[in-house]
Amino acid sequence: MKLWAPRSLRQKLLGMVLVTTLVALIVALAAMIGYDLRAYHRILVSDMTTQAELLGRTSAPALAFDDAKVAKENLSLLRFRPLVSSAAIYNARGALYATYARENDRHAFPKLPEPDGARVDDGDLVLFKRIVNDGEILGTVYLRADYELFARVFDYLGIAAVVLIAAMLVALLMSSWMQNIVTRPILAIAQVAREVVGQRDYSRRAVKMSADEVGTLVDSFNDMLTEIDRRNRELEASNAKLAQEAEERGRAEREILRLNAELENRVRERTAQLETANRELESFSYSVSHDLRAPLRAIDGFGQALVDDFPEHLPGDAKRYLSRIRASTQHMAQLIEDLLKLARVSRGPVERRTVDLGQVAQQVVSELQQREPGRAVEVSVWDGMRAEADPHLLRVALENLIGNAWKFTARSVKPRIEIGALKDRGRTTFFVRDNGAGFEMAYADKLFGAFQRLHSATEYAGTGIGLATVQRIVHRHGGRIWAEGEVGKGAVFFFTLVIAGEEAAAAEQVEEKAHG
Amino acid sequence: MDFLNKQSCRELWRELARTIERPLRAGALSILVAAGIAGPCAAQSDAQTAEYRVKAAFLYKFGGYVEWPQGVFAKPDSPIAIGVIGAEALAEELARIVAGRTINGRPVTVRKLRPGEAVASLHVLFVGRSDSSRLADILAAAKGQPLLTVTETDEALELGSMINFVVVDDKVRFDVAPPPAESGNLKISARLLGVARKVISKPS
Repeated sequence: MKLWAPRSLRQKLLGMVLVTTLVALIVALAAMIGYDLRAYHRILVSDMTTQAELLGRTSAPALAFDDAKVAKENLSLLRFRPLVSSAAIYNARGALYATYARENDRHAFPKLPEPDGARVDDGDLVLFKRIVNDGEILGTVYLRADYELFARVFDYLGIAAVVLIAAMLVALLMSSWMQNIVTRPILAIAQVAREVVGQRDYSRRAVKMSADEVGTLVDSFNDMLTEIDRRNRELEASNAKLAQEAEERGRAEREILRLNAELENRVRERTAQLETANRELESFSYSVSHDLRAPLRAIDGFGQALVDDFPEHLPGDAKRYLSRIRASTQHMAQLIEDLLKLARVSRGPVERRTVDLGQVAQQVVSELQQREPGRAVEVSVWDGMRAEADPHLLRVALENLIGNAWKFTARSVKPRIEIGALKDRGRTTFFVRDNGAGFEMAYADKLFGAFQRLHSATEYAGTGIGLATVQRIVHRHGGRIWAEGEVGKGAVFFFTLVIAGEEAAAAEQVEEKAHG
Repeated sequence: MDFLNKQSCRELWRELARTIERPLRAGALSILVAAGIAGPCAAQSDAQTAEYRVKAAFLYKFGGYVEWPQGVFAKPDSPIAIGVIGAEALAEELARIVAGRTINGRPVTVRKLRPGEAVASLHVLFVGRSDSSRLADILAAAKGQPLLTVTETDEALELGSMINFVVVDDKVRFDVAPPPAESGNLKISARLLGVARKVISKPS
């Protein structure tokens, strides 16, 4: 856990200065105290050794001439050295000869002198020094002095504490004042940066206060601000422009939507109108066709009656005319029949079901064969052609297409009709091919119009409504129909029955089956 | 005079054994043994011997506290000559003590003198206990010369002696009279004066 985490530059600087000062002070004080204590010890030992030497020299005659009184007097002079707590002189035989003790001193005197030297004993410095005169040992001086090292250590610690506190206080004051030199420019930048961020005012600039790294920083910072300001302005301008454009686009879109809606409305209206008109037209043509059939039957019927009832009264010419009248009425009846068919396929719903297109084609072909048993036409119907279609409408379409092929191959040497299907990427295109009269491709798009005939009625019978009916049926299934042909070589009619969406779905199913 | 009790006698014996460490020691010991160690201090003569031993030691040691004038010694290692008059035992004891020893780098020689013999070339002269007239003669002959005179007679200082042994409280002590020494250009160390019983500055 961190005891103190500085949160500002000031605190960090302050902390650095204080820690540095503290460490420097402690090291300096420790060195000084260590040196002083060592010096104290040396000086004390040296002082006491000198004292002992002096005492020895002074006491040498007393020992030499066995004058204990003088020796004691010499020792008693130590009362002027309060540091010495007790002292003694031993004679050459090592016996205690004279003693001195400071008042209230209770230390016992050693019974025998120790070798020369100083040692610390029980907080005192104990020293022995031989008295030598002319190479002869006369005795030994013993000194016991207060050794104040530990007291000094405590004194020094006290002083060190006071010095530390004082120095730290001074350092604190000094650094609080001096750190401004460093922090003020940086804090000024920080302040400007805060204001810039807070108020998004990029026109602010930091004041350069020094020519050092911070000054360089200020310059760079200001340059950066200038750059940001410039870009900001550009961005704002561009943004405004974009916003305007977006608004305009939005307005345009709304206008388009509005126009679309209007258009759709109009289309709906028009469609409704057209549908109404169409229905009216269809019902009109249906009723016209229907109503036209009755008089036609009357004309045909009475024509027949004339020929049947008065064969002998009618000259040959009249009979011929009557026959022509009847042929025309029958043609007209056929026309009406076809028109009614066309009208019928245009109305009513398309009920899709799976239909075997080949089977339907076979039925149509066999009906045609029955109607004209004398004709030998090679018909080939592919297997497995299935379609989703209205069975009735599909049959009508195939009747027309195959009927056409049957009809236009009447003059062919080896008439042939082929009904098949092409599968391309899941889309099935059915076709009815013949090698009959064919047509010119230039008129290909005119084939499917009502009453459009490319061949004369004398050549090939027909009303010109069949292909229009087929096209109507294919369109009602969402499919497409087109044709290719060449005069004298034959024609191919292609058609599809599935709308685009269903095609795709069917394609997927085919794919799945293929892989499954 | 009950000069030495049994205690001091034993001490003296010990000191002797300690300080005289030389081949002579065996001889000294045998002499002492021969003298009868069972009761060596009981007899008066033994006490006399002990006193002389101390005095001989002192006499030898005085040399270290006296400074002779220049020219007295020919060389730095010229011997210090100590003359002894009228004290056979002391002379013998002194001879034993000084053998092999030096004072300030100088060897020490001991000469026994008869009264009237020339004192020239001596540096220290001890005159044993004797009558005053003879002592006065000897001291008069030594007067003005760089010769340290040591005596053991009362009033000897008045006769011109420089150092005079006295016995106080069973201990050998001495009085010093610097003026005669000064007249002989001798310097007696203040340290010696410090241990003297009395220092007589003027002849009374």
